[in-house]
Amino acid sequence: MTDTTLNSAAPTRIGRHRLGLIALALVLAALFAIPVAIGDEFVYHIFITICIFAALSTAWNIVGGYAGQLSLGHAIFYGIGAYAGVILVNMGISPWIGMFAGATVAVVAAVVVSYPCFRLHGPFFALATIAFLEVFRVLALHFRELTGGATGLMIPLKIGWEWMVFRERLPALIIAFGMLLVCLGVAWAIRSRRLGFHLVATRERESAARAAGVDTVKVRLIAVAVSAALSAMVGTFHAMYLTFIEPASMFSLQLSIQIAMFALIGGIGTVWGPLLGAVLLVPITEFARGALGAEAIGLHGFVYGVVLMLVVLFMPNGIMGVLARFASGRKEAAGDEPDTHIAAVTRSDAAPRIGDPVLRVEGLQKHFGGLHVTNDVSFTLREGEILGLIGPNGAGKTTVFNMLSGFLKPDRGSVTLLGTDGAWHEPGNPGDFAALGVGRTFQIVQPFAAMTVEENIMVGAFHRYHTVSDAREAARETAHRMGLGRYLHDEANSLTVGGLKRLEVARVMAMKPRILLLDEVMAGINRTDVKRAVDLMLSIRETGVSIIAIEHVMQAVMALSDWVIVLSSGEIIAQGNPQEVVRDPHVIEAYLGKEFAGA
Amino acid sequence: MQTFLQIIANGLMLGGLFAIVAVGLTLIFGIVKVVNFAHGEFLMVGMYLTYLLTSGLGVHPYATAVAVIPILFVLGAVTQRLLIQPLMHARDEHIQIFATVGLSTALINLALLIFGADIANTPNYGVRSQIQIGSVRILEGQLWIFLAAILLVIGLQLFLARTNTGRAIRATAQNRAAARLMGINDRFIYVLTFGIGAACVGFGSALIAPLYPTSPTIGTYFVLIAFVIVVLGGLGSIPGAFFGALIIGLVDALSGFYIGSDLREAVVFGIFLVILILKPSGLFGTRVSQAHVSP
Repeated sequence: MTDTTLNSAAPTRIGRHRLGLIALALVLAALFAIPVAIGDEFVYHIFITICIFAALSTAWNIVGGYAGQLSLGHAIFYGIGAYAGVILVNMGISPWIGMFAGATVAVVAAVVVSYPCFRLHGPFFALATIAFLEVFRVLALHFRELTGGATGLMIPLKIGWEWMVFRERLPALIIAFGMLLVCLGVAWAIRSRRLGFHLVATRERESAARAAGVDTVKVRLIAVAVSAALSAMVGTFHAMYLTFIEPASMFSLQLSIQIAMFALIGGIGTVWGPLLGAVLLVPITEFARGALGAEAIGLHGFVYGVVLMLVVLFMPNGIMGVLARFASGRKEAAGDEPDTHIAAVTRSDAAPRIGDPVLRVEGLQKHFGGLHVTNDVSFTLREGEILGLIGPNGAGKTTVFNMLSGFLKPDRGSVTLLGTDGAWHEPGNPGDFAALGVGRTFQIVQPFAAMTVEENIMVGAFHRYHTVSDAREAARETAHRMGLGRYLHDEANSLTVGGLKRLEVARVMAMKPRILLLDEVMAGINRTDVKRAVDLMLSIRETGVSIIAIEHVMQAVMALSDWVIVLSSGEIIAQGNPQEVVRDPHVIEAYLGKEFAGA
Repeated sequence: MQTFLQIIANGLMLGGLFAIVAVGLTLIFGIVKVVNFAHGEFLMVGMYLTYLLTSGLGVHPYATAVAVIPILFVLGAVTQRLLIQPLMHARDEHIQIFATVGLSTALINLALLIFGADIANTPNYGVRSQIQIGSVRILEGQLWIFLAAILLVIGLQLFLARTNTGRAIRATAQNRAAARLMGINDRFIYVLTFGIGAACVGFGSALIAPLYPTSPTIGTYFVLIAFVIVVLGGLGSIPGAFFGALIIGLVDALSGFYIGSDLREAVVFGIFLVILILKPSGLFGTRVSQAHVSP
């Protein structure tokens, strides 16, 4: 941990963290030690199964939890791994090699299946994954020469480590346990690195993540590929352990649901939740199957279903959620930071130096159906300039912003930016805009709700830094500057509207943009803060950053802007320095109506 | 030609069957905006009820609809009130999916516990007899299902279009907040809609039970096909669900004959994926542009 003494509450957090790690180590040790100590075949079987399902569920969680893509088709990858392993074993190739062959096929399948599905949200993604699963199952049934069809495939009885088949149970437990550790290790590594932050940010607010320069498609594809590879490898081993596979049990919807269910019950999106879910639930199944036998057919499934309903109703964050609430029962004592306001900024009185153009907007046109929202908008932004963009509601200001940050493509016209390489670029998507140094905020704030304030800002900071410690440091510095220092470890959701606006700015500031697009950041914050925000923006500008601000707070627009552009009905109706513009009769008419124009 | 006509007839009859299952689902999906994975299990429950009533009391399976429809209505309404409503404000829509998956799992396994894995054959009272129309032969029961599906679609459509309750349901589906401001009790509307959706499937199960053997997992197959139809027809569109069902019925029958009966499902789900990815609003759905809203 890179927790430093910045925060007085940090020691207790570290203490809890350590406690959690000890508990986790105990659970893992028990998973291995209990069956070895008891030595009973059936107990071994239960613990091997726990390890396998915990590993599958942990792998699923990388996609279903971190990336928030609810896959109910993960048995595809498990099945691919199983079939690749068994088919190759029958050709005389060791499953240790087959495992990687299966993983490779699974990664290809995962990328091909997921890529078109990422545009689907929520239930549609889940339905698409189920449909793919059905297709795979039907195909596995159909291609009998390869898969044996409905009769399934047996593995030849070759015993030994080379073939992953054993007379005793201990070696199988060692492999299953090892796979679980690998999956947990990978999941933990992803979650605690830049990729994990990017995935969670993408899950929480896709557009805000894209504005922060996250390549949302790429990070999801990586998540899916890693998850599929791990699932396939576990699948290969499980097939060797079961010694027999058939399409109905390999490409099974029931299995896919179970995998997801363990993660949900343990705590979806947490590193250790899937493990806990499997540890608690797998024994129920196996006991019902092994001990009660045929008379209790359906009992374990019934218990599963009921537990699942109860969990979503009463503890939607799973066991980990309950543990977390229990652990943080005592709210951290406030008071490491007296400031709740934006830190006062001292600024030099030297006249601002406005340099050469950095952004050119030429002839932007945009229609939404019959509505002409942007009509021939052209302007230039120069280095270190603050440009105020004003206009009545519905004038098309935010649409212009969306085109300036790559979220919308203009029907006609162009947005070109001066890169650090001295050449002009015409970026096409939010990622390219971010890479060229454009940072934006959103009018309707888009916090990453499941993250703390610090983590929210870190997502912005990751635009510049690759390591967590650097990003954390940059995020803290930005947070203190934005008056968010005392909220670092609070959930973003707990902030007030004003706080969220500041968080929005802090996140984009952490990106160190060269061009800053601010969409009504002063709406809804108090007068003192408006003044401080004005000072802050002026101080940002002094570092050479160019700013375009959409703002309704006239006091701020007047104080800030070097140049003001007035939009009405998608057209620029006036521009000039602030004093000129407010006296322009067109502007008064647009804001107040015709009868005031002469007043 | 004779074979082709027969396949078309089979496809249409199958489509009628699918329609009667899918109509309730599209109502729930389109209006309550919840993916009800337990919908197939509602069908399963309905079919077991028909089976029990028919074999226990010796009444015609169609007559059991009088009891099955209200029971399923209550089942649906209770599901909405106790399981879905508390989750309407969940931050994560996955939670609702898991809730209905949990219900589905619990119902399937409850049926396994009570009835075992064996199939239950409902006495068919002659609805399995063949009738000849021109050169094609179909089962009498299939024809009844087809006609019932048409009646159900027209009835629901009239209900939604012409009655005040129907208007309130449509208003709630379009904009929940605005509907509330107009004095509509949105929670009641959701409970009612879920109940009606389940009652539709109850109606269907009384008709389907004498033709298909009942088993605990019968719903799983139907619900997946029903989702295909609902997406194909456009969410919440009742005529869309009907025509989508006919299309899927025809695709199923034609691909079963010309491509291979074991690949039927692959074709159906393949079409589903293409529609989902290329035109997620479905063939009959209208696309609402949200592009002008902040991304």
